[in-house]
Amino acid sequence: MSLVFSAITSGSDDLKAIISAISTLVEEATFVASAEGITFRGMDPSHVALIDISWPNSAFEKYECDSDIKFGVRIDEFSKLIKRAEKKDSIELGISDDNMLLVTIGKNKKYKIRLIESSASDTPLPKIPYDAKIELSSTAFDKILGDVQVVSDYLTMIATESKAEFSGKGDSGEVVIELQKGTDDVQDLSVKQESTGTYSLEYLNPVVKAVGTTTGSIICEYSSAKPLRIEFKVGNIGRIHFYLAPRVES
Amino acid sequence: MGLKLKQLIVREKTNLEFFASKVVAIDAYNAIYQFLAIIRGPDGSYLSDSNGRVTSHLSGLFYRNIRFLSIGIKPVYVFDGKPPSLKSVEIERRRQIKRDATIKYEKAISQGNLQDARKYAQQTSVMKDTMVEDSKKILSLFGIPYIDAPSEGESTAAHLTKTGQAYATASQDFDSVLFGAKRLVRNFSNSGRRKIPNRNTYIEIVPEIIDYEKTLKELGVTREQIVDIGILIGTDFNPDGFPRIGPKTALKMIKEHSKLEKIPQIQDKLSEVDYEQIRRIFLEPKVAHVSEIKFETINFDAIIKYLVDERSFSFDRVQTSLNRLKKSIERKSQTLEKWFS
Repeated sequence: MSLVFSAITSGSDDLKAIISAISTLVEEATFVASAEGITFRGMDPSHVALIDISWPNSAFEKYECDSDIKFGVRIDEFSKLIKRAEKKDSIELGISDDNMLLVTIGKNKKYKIRLIESSASDTPLPKIPYDAKIELSSTAFDKILGDVQVVSDYLTMIATESKAEFSGKGDSGEVVIELQKGTDDVQDLSVKQESTGTYSLEYLNPVVKAVGTTTGSIICEYSSAKPLRIEFKVGNIGRIHFYLAPRVES
Repeated sequence: MGLKLKQLIVREKTNLEFFASKVVAIDAYNAIYQFLAIIRGPDGSYLSDSNGRVTSHLSGLFYRNIRFLSIGIKPVYVFDGKPPSLKSVEIERRRQIKRDATIKYEKAISQGNLQDARKYAQQTSVMKDTMVEDSKKILSLFGIPYIDAPSEGESTAAHLTKTGQAYATASQDFDSVLFGAKRLVRNFSNSGRRKIPNRNTYIEIVPEIIDYEKTLKELGVTREQIVDIGILIGTDFNPDGFPRIGPKTALKMIKEHSKLEKIPQIQDKLSEVDYEQIRRIFLEPKVAHVSEIKFETINFDAIIKYLVDERSFSFDRVQTSLNRLKKSIERKSQTLEKWFS
């Protein structure tokens, strides 16, 4: 039985961003390839954060898949070889007849890595109404996280109709960063209801760093004391959804 | 001790964090015996307080539960009740091992051979009633629930996984599998390294899950048949098992003949074994039925008072550990689970 699965990216940035985002949460990842594209969903072992990725076929240079397949990889192994790609290198993914993952980087670098048995059970998505939506550039958000981390392990976000406020408080002191609506800092701010949420930087920082500048802007959506969802755009039409449970208020 | 099922069973590696926010029913005697064996001075003597009372079990429970609670694991300890009468042979065998070890220990001490002394001392661990009381006391101060099983602790722990009150049971012994525990966790401890008994080397230990349904499916046997396999290999209730039958042969025999009564080559020996009673112990065990497992808040001050004032623990060490626990509880992120439904 030979199955047809071949996905070719136009450069290597998107795949690198996706893989490093996943690697902040799990060691083993199971991807699902279908006619529509490639998806991934997984949670960190303590179920505090979840990544849900949708990478549609149209985001690829060339994409072929005639039946649904699941393939599991060890993320560190996969990541190592993806890093061997230059920015402009296309990457082709396929499955060999002997059930290995084929990764062709550029024209002539052909890797084969072993697949692992996919243990993934179906992870549901959190069902939450989002009261607040803040859109800003990933660079600006990354800076805010860095600013807050100086004094705190947590980021508190307060969104009102006119401004978004990011703050942190720790043993050594506290910080507040205010972004007014209608300035260059905030691309969009829509608030149904004033919302306050506190989230762990231990989870936020790595994933924002991992996706880096590959995504132009990010969208943070949340409601008071409920999970946060951050959307990173990948290659224009693909996206990473990162869900993070709120801190328990003591 | 324990069932030699290891080589038949599918074990999946995991990590302690995986059990965050899950209830795990811990075989209390199994855990405490480990502490009594491992937490000892270089010459093999127990840790003790200023009145000479053993504190090895308290030290073990203190540090291990701090680890569990700081991850958000919800431990429930299940204590053994009265052992089934069929266990008397095994109990006598263990007593004899301890008596022998005690003699060897005393000899090693008189010869000044510390390494041997420690080795034999570990085999002499005896659980006293006062230790059980101490253990329950420290658990209560931590707000951790415990259950007194009417019979074997493992069977009640396994029962909790069947009712869904616990996600898994934790024990080093494989007997839990025969009791039908939905999931058994081995190496459910706070250390990534474990000392190999009697040697000065450590091996990397990670928690592993044994999934009951998967195991039955993998072996291609039923609930009744895995008990029969256990009886062939030897359980606590027929410790010697059957001569020259190891795990693989046992599996083969049961798959070929379906049950003990139909295996021609063992019938002589089988007549000497009360196998029907053993089957009942595993398949229809006496268990405690618990309506609700309740976790209370941690009484930090009382823990310090008990361990430091009454049991001679170092104030600094106890306080440092408790502060770390406080901090990790405060900063605990919730899990996403409550928004799934």
